[in-house]
Amino acid sequence: MEIALLGFAAALAIGLPALATAWAQGRIGPAAAATLAEKPELSTTAVILIAIPETMVILGFVVAVLILLRAGG
Amino acid sequence: MIVRMMRVRIAGPRSLLDRTLTVLQDLGVLHVDRPPVPDGRAPDRIVMRERRHVERCLSDVEMALNRLRLPVDPGAPAERPLSAPQAARRARRVRRRAETLALATSALEDERSLLVRYREFFQAFEALVGHELTWPDGQAFYVVLRAGAGSAVGELRRRLEDALHGEVVLLHQELSSGEWAVLILASSRAAPKVSALLSASRVEELPAPAGIAEKNVLRALPAIKARLGEIPESLHAVDAQRRALAQTEGAWLSGLRVFLRDQLLRFDARTRVFAADYLFVIEGWLPVPRLVDLQQRMQTTLGPEVVVSTIGAEDWTAEAAPVALHNPPLFRPFEVLTRILPLPKYGTIDPTPFVAIFFPAFFGLIVGDVGHGLLLAGLAGLLRLKSEPDTTLRSVSTVALACSSSTIAFGVFFGEFFGSLGPAIGLQPFFNREQATIPFLGLSVALGGVHIALGLVLAGVSAWRRGHRREAVGRSVALGMLILTALSLLAAFEVLPAGLFTPLVVAILVAFTVLVALEGIVAVIELLSTVGHILSYARIMALGTASLMLAVVANEMVGAMGSVLVGAIFALLFHLVNFAIGLFSPTIHALRLHYVEFFGQFFSPGGAEYRPLGHWHPLP
Repeated sequence: MEIALLGFAAALAIGLPALATAWAQGRIGPAAAATLAEKPELSTTAVILIAIPETMVILGFVVAVLILLRAGG
Repeated sequence: MIVRMMRVRIAGPRSLLDRTLTVLQDLGVLHVDRPPVPDGRAPDRIVMRERRHVERCLSDVEMALNRLRLPVDPGAPAERPLSAPQAARRARRVRRRAETLALATSALEDERSLLVRYREFFQAFEALVGHELTWPDGQAFYVVLRAGAGSAVGELRRRLEDALHGEVVLLHQELSSGEWAVLILASSRAAPKVSALLSASRVEELPAPAGIAEKNVLRALPAIKARLGEIPESLHAVDAQRRALAQTEGAWLSGLRVFLRDQLLRFDARTRVFAADYLFVIEGWLPVPRLVDLQQRMQTTLGPEVVVSTIGAEDWTAEAAPVALHNPPLFRPFEVLTRILPLPKYGTIDPTPFVAIFFPAFFGLIVGDVGHGLLLAGLAGLLRLKSEPDTTLRSVSTVALACSSSTIAFGVFFGEFFGSLGPAIGLQPFFNREQATIPFLGLSVALGGVHIALGLVLAGVSAWRRGHRREAVGRSVALGMLILTALSLLAAFEVLPAGLFTPLVVAILVAFTVLVALEGIVAVIELLSTVGHILSYARIMALGTASLMLAVVANEMVGAMGSVLVGAIFALLFHLVNFAIGLFSPTIHALRLHYVEFFGQFFSPGGAEYRPLGHWHPLP
């Protein structure tokens, strides 16, 4: 039971930040596309701005791994 | 690194202004800047008129070169005309002639494409028309109905026959596109009624190309074919005239363009020169080592009447100084990464050397696979072969080579070859990141700590150099707090003697008080943000582990598909996908770690680019 809960916790740890990242990228993406229509030279900056919210899901992944390692231990 | 600049003033008699600007342009070292004098003088009308003439002539020259399809010759020598008005007239003549030829070519090509476009349409009628028209003085109407409108043909025929009683013939054929080709032949008396009926039915006639508006289709079709046969010859003749004109005028036009562009650059510089009735003053910036060159050239070419004086050997506090980056050849290609952001301010730090070291390191640490590294090296080599020296592509290829080397080195360290295939080629991991997840996380965060600490050191140096002593001390204290925090954590986990924990915590509290005293309450927020930045380096571990897991999954496909062959194909495809992700994602995140976390500590964007007055060069 405890292992199942830990697995569920790991899933939440990555799932919720993934939703948050998706929401943020969903807002940054159109803004970046609109920017690129006017200033194509900002393409690299736009890609980096889109990548910034990925921090959430990446840290979520780290936490999920830590939880799973605990479950395994 | 940022090149150290010096501000100089050049003064002399007004009569020597043009020659002085020409000498400066030949030398190509002075970034002309407006001198700090009252700017109340009206613009020089003669200069403005000259500039307009030059711009008009340049427009003619560039239009002519464009119409003659002459590529930009980067090595064309400047062609100084003996008489500017004569050159302008000749350029205008050539431009008009080139435009006439270009228009003729364009008209012929349009005609040919129209004829080709409707060839099938006319071929359909060739099959339909097997007899002379009933009405030699009649008229033909060409109509194309959209696909699926076959039933409308019958309706059209019925209306025409009802209205014109035998003075009209309608022929139709379905085209391969599904459209319907319809030919209506009418007597001269019935033609206006047909035209009115078509308009009322909103059926548009096919616009017939010039030369095929024959009343008799049997005569029109051969005319079309003959015209299609003539067009290539006409095109060839026009092209021969264009080539002859390009041959006789091309070199002269290219040279004149260089001369006129150079002249425009001097006009631009002149707007930043103070010129009174009898004297002129030019001020500007140049790299410190080039001062002697400038003084010698001025002395030898213009004599003692033009005086060069330094306004002061500027230290790094000059806010207005332009910025030029100069890095060793090994680091220079990495400027392509730092130039994505605005230039750093003069007196601050150029981050290029640090990017050159840490960017490939982070990339390699994330991907860490010999197989992926070899593939990337192959791509980088290919890009290098295809690119010209001193271009952005060549810089990108060098950066990619550095990343591939780092990826191979870390691949050997991790014992990875397309994931878990390392042992198959004799690689033994020194650090197995598939199992040692927590140590890998610790390594990533520790690396982040080092990187951020370096950023704080650079921030301190930059602030000290620009005379912001308080800020420099504040950055040093923040760095000290970071180190003390790391040491206290090591003491808490008993890596260091546990007895050190309490003194370290006390030292942190003292440092925190000093920091708040120096920088105010903002220091607290900055400190928390710095800790967040260090934790952000955990992405190195996360992305690295994810990349490894994808590779392991790809390898396991070989045995999981039932057939080894099918499994191997799927595994190969999966590895390719992983490689593509492995190129994109680590690049973005390694860049982000630099731009957001590392640069955030010390980077001050907003420097003006050093643009010395020099000769015009076409963009590569």
